[in-house]
Amino acid sequence: MPFVDFKGKKLEVNEEGFLVNSDEWNKEVAVFFALKEDNIANLTDDHWAVINYIREFYLENNLAPMIRKICKTTGFQLKYIYELFPSGPAKGAAKIAGLPKPDGCV
Amino acid sequence: MNENETYVSKDPFDEKIEQLSPADREKALKVFAEKINREFAVYFNSCVHCGLCADSCHYYLTHQDIQSLPAYKLGLVIGIFKKYFSFMGKNMPGWVGAKSFDNRMVKEWVDSLYGRCSLCGRCSLNCSIGINIAALIRAARGALAAIGLVPPGLQSTIETAVEKGNNMGIKKDDWLETASWLEEELQTEIADPAARIPMDQKDARYFYTINPREAMFFPLSISAVAKLFHAAGESWTLAADSYDVTNYGLYSGDDETAGMLSDRLVQGMAKLGCKTLVLAECGHGFKSNRWEAPEWLSKKYGFEVKSILEVVAGFIREGRIKLDPAKNQEPVTLHDPCNLVRMGGIIEEQRFILRHAVSQFIEMIPNREKNFCCGGGGGQLAMTQFSQRRLKAGGVKAEQIRKTGAKIVATPCHNCIDQLMELNKHYQLDVKIKTVCELAADALVL
Repeated sequence: MPFVDFKGKKLEVNEEGFLVNSDEWNKEVAVFFALKEDNIANLTDDHWAVINYIREFYLENNLAPMIRKICKTTGFQLKYIYELFPSGPAKGAAKIAGLPKPDGCV
Repeated sequence: MNENETYVSKDPFDEKIEQLSPADREKALKVFAEKINREFAVYFNSCVHCGLCADSCHYYLTHQDIQSLPAYKLGLVIGIFKKYFSFMGKNMPGWVGAKSFDNRMVKEWVDSLYGRCSLCGRCSLNCSIGINIAALIRAARGALAAIGLVPPGLQSTIETAVEKGNNMGIKKDDWLETASWLEEELQTEIADPAARIPMDQKDARYFYTINPREAMFFPLSISAVAKLFHAAGESWTLAADSYDVTNYGLYSGDDETAGMLSDRLVQGMAKLGCKTLVLAECGHGFKSNRWEAPEWLSKKYGFEVKSILEVVAGFIREGRIKLDPAKNQEPVTLHDPCNLVRMGGIIEEQRFILRHAVSQFIEMIPNREKNFCCGGGGGQLAMTQFSQRRLKAGGVKAEQIRKTGAKIVATPCHNCIDQLMELNKHYQLDVKIKTVCELAADALVL
């Protein structure tokens, strides 16, 4: 699988840029992925609210949360989540949160 | 990825191929033989290598290598057919291009039949003989599936569907909560507390299925359909259990699993006693459940099957809903999903709806049954290892979109939507991607 250079360290990602070893994730990696994968130059508190929740949910359940749970927990409207992450909850938010690629048509 | 490294990678999947035993390969050939009917045998003997298929294939147009040529891909399958199932091939293999089914060939099958084809069927339109190339490649995929060689992302999506009841592993409680949340949102949006998203409604006329991707991440398309049903005053329902319109068995080539997945909808229909099974905007789900499943299951349906596009077009024709195109001012183009249009026969309904729902509708060229695949079909979106090729192959579609000058691309397929979202980013198209029902719902006059 390919690697991306991050601060002198090599991060293994799959061919679509999802992090392979989830425990290599940290907030700096999220900032790096946000710019690289979703062209987000500045992660705001709202971005972090979504990213942190997805990350916590994943660590507990080993899968990404449904959009309903993301909206309920963060209190954000659905359309606002899509504005925050133009690539969507899977290829945007979940990828930035260091999750593997979900199954299905994504 | 360097494509020249195909044979030196130490991927666990490749190791699995290297460790195949003669018995494994015999098993694959046995399953392959079972799939060869008279029609397929004629096809295998018919390719004259005229090369007309080359320019029909988005892989060939973007990669310009021989491995991407449909006739070459088909040739890999024909070589095996001749070697093991023809008199000449058994006795004088060199004369007829017969090839041995060794591990190297298995690897090339995987790389080519799974990795360089989206089963879009466009090559067949340009084939001077009319060979159904996609069907033959799918049959060969089925032989690989029989020995556990479905590429990982595609295989895990199938396993999730088989084990969890839907291809994203959504839990029942979460699905029910999502549906009732969408119902509340819909009531607020249209200021009508009578608006419903019915669940497990017995004897409803329409049994509506969804792509789990909608519930999981993109539920506005469910709300849009609910809004259209509500406006038409139609009797309909979602199901708590059997609601997944997808069927990745179509892509793996494994008919048994494909039949089992489609049978869930048959059982769901029986349980609720609905009249018509309505398939969401999902190309491969339509092809699977409208056309293929009765074959896989060897039984006729006892009910009617429709695409949601046919239902909504019917509402417009019958004057049951009113749309105002002025509500969608931006120029819209339409991407025709291969499985729904070229191979599914739903061609004009989406155009009829869009002409009523948007102010400016621009056709891409070519369109309808001659459309190019977006590149996401055939399981390509699930098979991560081939994703760079998929994005490159999508260049044909990206160029088509750019030439229309449209700001919105409508497409009645969630699989296509995901690929188009990636193309939008990769090729900087600056468009929005929507389902046809989303645009129709936005244009509703309530």
